[in-house]
Amino acid sequence: MRSDALKLSAVYTKMIFRSWFQYRVDAILRSLAVFMREATSIIVIYFTLLKFDSLNGWNIYEMLFLFSLVYVTYGIMIIFFTGLRDFGKTVRTGGFDRYILRPRGLLFQLIFANADWFAAVGHGCLGILLFVLSAAKIGVVWTPARVIYYIFSIAGGVLIQGAIFLFLATLNIYLFETNALKEVFYWNGRKFAGYPISIFHKAIQFCMTFVVPFAFVNYFPSQFLLRKDDMAMYPEIFMYITPLVGIVMYLLAYLFWRVSIKYYKSSGN
Amino acid sequence: MKMTAYMAFAKKSFLQKSAYRMEHWMGILNTLIRLVIYVEIYRALYGAREAVDGITMSMVTTNFILSLGMESFFVVDDFYLSYRIGNGSIASEMLLPVSFHGRMLADNLGTAAFKLIFHFIPAMLVAVLFIGISAPAGAASMGLFVLSVLFGYGVLWSISFMFQMFSFWLINVWAIMTIKNVFINVLSGAMIPLWFMPESMKNVIKFTPFESIYFTPVQIYLGKITGAEIAGGFIKQIIWIVCLLGIGMILWHKGQKKLVVQGG
Repeated sequence: MRSDALKLSAVYTKMIFRSWFQYRVDAILRSLAVFMREATSIIVIYFTLLKFDSLNGWNIYEMLFLFSLVYVTYGIMIIFFTGLRDFGKTVRTGGFDRYILRPRGLLFQLIFANADWFAAVGHGCLGILLFVLSAAKIGVVWTPARVIYYIFSIAGGVLIQGAIFLFLATLNIYLFETNALKEVFYWNGRKFAGYPISIFHKAIQFCMTFVVPFAFVNYFPSQFLLRKDDMAMYPEIFMYITPLVGIVMYLLAYLFWRVSIKYYKSSGN
Repeated sequence: MKMTAYMAFAKKSFLQKSAYRMEHWMGILNTLIRLVIYVEIYRALYGAREAVDGITMSMVTTNFILSLGMESFFVVDDFYLSYRIGNGSIASEMLLPVSFHGRMLADNLGTAAFKLIFHFIPAMLVAVLFIGISAPAGAASMGLFVLSVLFGYGVLWSISFMFQMFSFWLINVWAIMTIKNVFINVLSGAMIPLWFMPESMKNVIKFTPFESIYFTPVQIYLGKITGAEIAGGFIKQIIWIVCLLGIGMILWHKGQKKLVVQGG
């Protein structure tokens, strides 16, 4: 990385903010809309557990804690990986060719030239709110070890999702349209991730642990604190390897990107 | 002659839809995955219980299959008007000898017909074979169910129609459309069967159009409401369609006067 990389990313961030906040009312409305859209699952869980008390032994606050990690990690992840989320569009419109012509690393530009701050604020606020509230209700005592554990686990969760985005973005080099794939593998994975994976069919559990490993984003890290009975179904070590899973997945996705980028053919003109 | 013009629009959007194969298969898979999630969650919630508040697990499953099934072909394009205002093509479309709203409906219906045949039916077949659905309460219930599905779509379409009219005043309607859809998702029974809502919420929902979309048809199918209640359900659906379209038309006339198109 060159010495002015930090300065350049600061310039990019300033430009993003300027363009987003051209229309102030719209910016506030949009953040609110993202917040409400994401809160939908929370409202649904809340009403459901008012009726049923618990889901496989998890009460309402434990469920909210489980959910909160999904939002916190996404909120942080999207600050960096928006360019990869929207990469399909960049390729289709030929915008990627511009990136290639610039004297900078491609991934560097993709990561710093775009950031969806509405999503970051919407998801991030909801996540932090849920995390703090539910942890207080459960009665968590924050020892230094626990704080460090969650910092590393959240970083791991961010990397896991970043790796999935990088992998799907790379597929755009081979396939014209990957939105549908993203819908099935990423967004559906997220929908499952809000619930304790132990309630699902074995095949779904397998996918959530080894294929699109959302379980390491929130389920296993939550178990570290909550120690619910259903953890007995999985090896204890799973609670501790989230950062490792994140790093390994990201390195693999990065390798795939490096190999594939050589085959890029422009669709623009 | 006019009807054939609308038919042509509907046919065009039907054919357009068939161009995206991959997207289509993934769409069906998506509906099924969501269905599996909901059913598994409720299986875990029910545990060994036969019924909760007189609602059996198979009623819950049926509710989800029917709601998600309807959702899969209830096509509304929330951005139909704002897109055309944005790129200026609204100006030339308003000069056409067909009504703009008629054309919008025809476009949506064409897509809906495509989804009904190629999304709803295959997804239903898989769901019925592998998950299982309760039979309708009777032949009459089945007939009335189909009729209320049509009105349910009418309500959903009318809500979108009314909200689209704000495109005349707002640069971007994405935010209000998203918020509108949050209300539909939570209050229509598609994500939580409305039987399980707290009483206080049920009393609020009664005065909204949302339960008319998916929940009224499901109630009729299962025979949970009968006789006068069914009639009441239909009347509610019709009243909401008339009101929402009425408000939408008032806004349309107001908006038209202030419409300024740049370029086009």
